[in-house]
Amino acid sequence: MIALNRTRAAALALGAALTLGWAAGSAQAQTLAVNPAPTAADWSALAKLPDWSGVWIPGQYAPAKSPPSWTPDAAAQVAELQAEEAAGRPRNIYVNCLPEGMPSFVVMNLNTSEILFTPGRVTILNEFDGNRLRRIYTDGRGHPEDPDLTFNGHSIGRWEGDTLVVDTIGIVPQSYLPLGQGVGIPNNGGMHIVERIHLTAPDTLRIDMVVEAPKVLVAPWRISREYKRSRERARDILEASCRQGDFLEDVDAHGNAIFSPIPHDDGGAPLPPDQARK
Amino acid sequence: MSPRSDRPPPDINGYPMTRSARNAAIALWLATAGAAWPAAAHHSFAMYDQTRIVTLRGTVKTFQWSNPHALIWVLGSVAPDGAPELWSVELSTSPGNLSRMGWSKHSVEPGDKIAIDLNPLRDGRHGGSLKRATLLATGKVLTTAPVAGQVDAKPDAK
Repeated sequence: MIALNRTRAAALALGAALTLGWAAGSAQAQTLAVNPAPTAADWSALAKLPDWSGVWIPGQYAPAKSPPSWTPDAAAQVAELQAEEAAGRPRNIYVNCLPEGMPSFVVMNLNTSEILFTPGRVTILNEFDGNRLRRIYTDGRGHPEDPDLTFNGHSIGRWEGDTLVVDTIGIVPQSYLPLGQGVGIPNNGGMHIVERIHLTAPDTLRIDMVVEAPKVLVAPWRISREYKRSRERARDILEASCRQGDFLEDVDAHGNAIFSPIPHDDGGAPLPPDQARK
Repeated sequence: MSPRSDRPPPDINGYPMTRSARNAAIALWLATAGAAWPAAAHHSFAMYDQTRIVTLRGTVKTFQWSNPHALIWVLGSVAPDGAPELWSVELSTSPGNLSRMGWSKHSVEPGDKIAIDLNPLRDGRHGGSLKRATLLATGKVLTTAPVAGQVDAKPDAK
């Protein structure tokens, strides 16, 4: 008990010292940003936004019809990758369950999406890529001066009428500009993406995207994607792990249910174990 | 999918196994399934020869209802009277999209006699991508529809 009291007293003393030090020495303490609790008015304001509820089914993505303007070096790499894929040796760009990231989250999405509005934020949920998500802050904040780099980057949004304009930076340089699952070039850093998301018909959502990737593009890449709305429960988003298909539902020597790795060829095709080596 | 619980899992030749035989088969799988293979997750289908269709006839070992691609493991042969061997048959997409195309985890069951038209692996190994499957007991035909966004994205399109 005595020991406990001593510990507690020491903790209190340390806490007091830190508090005093903070208050006395750090102007930042007074500007420490917080996310305020939403008010009833904040929740009511959401009802004035356009209705983007439901499940959104992405339409055709045809990068060949609107390819990026590559730098000469990137164009040469793309040509080589396309030749490799045509020869049956694709260099897959989505491996090891790493997030596919932006702009793949939009342009390579092969499954359904949902969009949630909460005060100060828009959240986009994909079934694709292991149910990954994007958080878009609409509370008026700016980008961090020195953001930690992430696969989907740091996104801030503002409403221009019924159009959500999203600005994204802070994306890892390894995130690809994809032409397919076997052809893509990493952005190599400094990528900046602006999206305009809006309804073009009652059940049609369109994302117009401008991708600046100065290390590999000589001009911004303008690419769009349309989504059709469904309200059928049969289309509700499912759990989607990114690599479960790389494992066999197996049983160990104790009878435990386990996942065993499935051999693959160089392109990612699953193989029976006796076919693992050529 | 897991094998049905009311029957022992078939061994690699399709016969019920003793526990020791099953353990030996599992050990074989684990021994060959090392860490060296690329973990492709989403991947191109360019490894499959999309100019050729062959028919695999045999018995379903397992229907693996998994993301990002479902898989049918079949003990069968592409030769008319060939000895049954294990084949992997990959579906073009995931349970979410397959459900929307009318499939379920019960569309194919272990033990089903099946004929699958597939694009074979170009290098001749026992793998393919499903074009069309016929359940021989009922004649039911299973296909997949084009996946959103891939219709024009050749050579990924399938």
